[in-house]
Amino acid sequence: MAAGVAAWLPFARAAAIGWMPVASAPMPPPPRDKKRGQDGLIILNVSGTRFQTWRNTLERYPDTLLGSTERDFFFHEETNEYFFDRDPDIFRHILNFYRTGKLHYPRHECISAYDEELAFFGIIPEIIGDCCYEEYKDRRRENAERIQDDEENDNNNDLVMPDLSFRESMWRAFENPHTSTMALVFYYVTGFFIAVSVMANVVETVPCGISLNRAKELSCGERYALAFFCLDTACVMIFTVEYLLRLIAAPSRYKFVKSVMSIIDVVAIMPYYIGLVMTDNEDVSGAFVTLRVFRVFRIFKFSRHSAGLRILGYTLKSCASELGFLLFSLTMAIIIFATVMFYAEKGSSASKFTSIPAAFWYTIVTMTTLGYGDMVPKTIMGKIFGSICSLSGVLVIALPVPVIVSNFSRIYHQSQRAEKRRAQKKTRLARIRAAKSGGANAYLQYKRNGMLVDMEEEASKEAGQALVCKANPTFETQHHHLLHCLEKTTNHEFVDEQTYETSCMEVSLAKPSMSRSSSMSSSPHGLSSCCTRRNKRKSFNVPNSNMAGGRRGSIQELSTIQIRERPLSNSRSSLNAKFEETVPLNSEEPSYITAAVISMPTPPVTTPEGVDLASSHDFLQSNIVRVSAL
Amino acid sequence: MMNLEGLEMIAVLVVVVVFVKVLEQFGLLESGYDDSIEDELELSAVRHRPEALEQLEAQTRFSRKELQILYRGFKNECPSGVVNEDTFKEIYAQFFPQGDASTYAHFLFNAFDTDHNGSVSFEDFVMGLSILLRGSVQEKLNWAFNLYDINKDGYITKEEMLDIIKSIYDMMGKCTYPILKEETPRQHVEIFFQKMDKNRDGVVTIDEFIDCCQNDENIMRSMQLFENVI
Repeated sequence: MAAGVAAWLPFARAAAIGWMPVASAPMPPPPRDKKRGQDGLIILNVSGTRFQTWRNTLERYPDTLLGSTERDFFFHEETNEYFFDRDPDIFRHILNFYRTGKLHYPRHECISAYDEELAFFGIIPEIIGDCCYEEYKDRRRENAERIQDDEENDNNNDLVMPDLSFRESMWRAFENPHTSTMALVFYYVTGFFIAVSVMANVVETVPCGISLNRAKELSCGERYALAFFCLDTACVMIFTVEYLLRLIAAPSRYKFVKSVMSIIDVVAIMPYYIGLVMTDNEDVSGAFVTLRVFRVFRIFKFSRHSAGLRILGYTLKSCASELGFLLFSLTMAIIIFATVMFYAEKGSSASKFTSIPAAFWYTIVTMTTLGYGDMVPKTIMGKIFGSICSLSGVLVIALPVPVIVSNFSRIYHQSQRAEKRRAQKKTRLARIRAAKSGGANAYLQYKRNGMLVDMEEEASKEAGQALVCKANPTFETQHHHLLHCLEKTTNHEFVDEQTYETSCMEVSLAKPSMSRSSSMSSSPHGLSSCCTRRNKRKSFNVPNSNMAGGRRGSIQELSTIQIRERPLSNSRSSLNAKFEETVPLNSEEPSYITAAVISMPTPPVTTPEGVDLASSHDFLQSNIVRVSAL
Repeated sequence: MMNLEGLEMIAVLVVVVVFVKVLEQFGLLESGYDDSIEDELELSAVRHRPEALEQLEAQTRFSRKELQILYRGFKNECPSGVVNEDTFKEIYAQFFPQGDASTYAHFLFNAFDTDHNGSVSFEDFVMGLSILLRGSVQEKLNWAFNLYDINKDGYITKEEMLDIIKSIYDMMGKCTYPILKEETPRQHVEIFFQKMDKNRDGVVTIDEFIDCCQNDENIMRSMQLFENVI
């Protein structure tokens, strides 16, 4: 029941007196009316902006935050108001919902911010009024697509995992040529050969001079038959090899064989093999010549190389209904006009409109405004209807075209946006990395500076920026204390990545093993020795703010890519990792993992965590980031 | 020598018709009726402001605060200040989602719309409520009689009663227990007339009605039911 109508309930109850004289049974007793003296003004202070409304207004929707007792949690005694630390601009709309019973979506607001506010105040988005619902749904869908796009791209990049078999890495090389040099080379080579093959097909048919024996024009294909044959063979061999490689590498061979691209591949190379098999038999050579037409399908192989072509194909597929409508209406119009023209021209002598199907040609040529002029109406009637035909043709064709165009534009811009986001991602990641590493040192500096009293003068000598740490807010100090407790619990210490790396490289043996399991368990070995050494010396290396080593680029990228994903599971697993003996984490660089057996939990896992926790308040994010980095 | 054959005639006709349509489009040929004036009337919204609070306080039995609350609810739902019959039906229908309350709402609307101008203003609304909630039993019974007397001629006939009873049963909807039968409203009317129509003349006058109700304990008790609604 709409809230506003609740105000009319007293009226409806009063009007029930009209039933009383005709009632067949006695009435039930009325409910106990609780004292309604509560109707006062409520002050809602949302980040400083004061909103006031009647208590009854809010209580119209008792299953939301403001309408239920949940709002008591936000009551602020000193000022006798309810304080919410949220966005006042969006709150305006939420409060209007209580007042008018309709929830509107402001177009200029970000969809996720709005969704968050709705979720906070316990309002389901489905009650958004019809006026704004379309817009809301559209924006939401766009946002979801964008996030999905990002995730897909990230997932694609994720497969930098080492545990890819040869087959999987080959498939990856085929699908994303920019991942490795070999793949890129292969990509360009196949592209080149496709172009060569298509050009050869075209040039084959060009007349190339007159042969002296016969007084007939020879095409280049006949003149240089051997050369063209060799070229064709080479191209087909490359294509065959490529097809077989793809077939081997495909994760699902059946799906691969069914896919459009593989069918195009097969159709492109089959004519050659069929030609080989068939001899110069006169009967089948006609069919053989027809088969050569299929060689032109090689040009479709370019769609692997061109995103634009793929987009075009995708657009046509998605506009199937519009195209179907276009076709249908055209067919209808053609039939109508062909019939009319035929009967109109029946009277005239020597008319070319011999039958209705013959008139089809005229109608099509006229409606598409081609106007070849090979069939022309001669009677007045025919001319009148012919002009109507051409006018209507323009209209019928022009109508569905904008729909197709807008579809294409939308898809094209989406792919442009994805490309741009990918390009910007690198710079964004670099900036985030710099910010993180800046804060990552906070804990280490704290340890150096604030932890042990007797170290202070030493610390201030070592790091010039120790002064910064003295002005730590309470949060920081409490946080550092917590990390310190953790160190004491596990009897390991946090260090920065570089130190860890160097220590690992010292200890690691020469064999780069690609072992996937329990790789992390062996890593701390070197570190513990480093740490104990360092403990005695009580001096730390000044961590570099730029923690990116030579090979670090991909790690960092991988780590920061993971910002948005898999928050809880990873953090939980990483928490467990601290207390477990062996941690089967996926390691980026297994070559640095030694074969030594270690019984202690892995401080490197905790190291970056702690370091990062210091930098950002978003624990989950940082957990993910660092775990995956190792 | 031009011999216009059948199909040629049609062609010429088509051309002429198209020509006329084009002229119409450009306004050179006036044809069809003007419905532009009607559109303009709809644009001006009806606005009504009620009498002052003091006057209403004097005319009804509501306190100032109660009037304030009532007006706020009223204005919220009907910002223009008056309720027309469709809005009234809509609002009333929200309380009875299972059945069809439109007929009864129609009768109710007529009962509230005392000056019969097709819309219920806040004064009408509040006067009606004042009688229903704060009035004496006599006044309430009067009001009920007025409701049943559809054509306001002072007599309730069997047909009028049948309409009223049917509309009340309509509000119940389909899913009832026991299942609503065709003759149930008619039987209900018979029972009512047997009780109320003392002189068996086939109509119920206001005096018969009030007399009868005052002698019926159930009805008297039920009249007091909604005293504390506001």
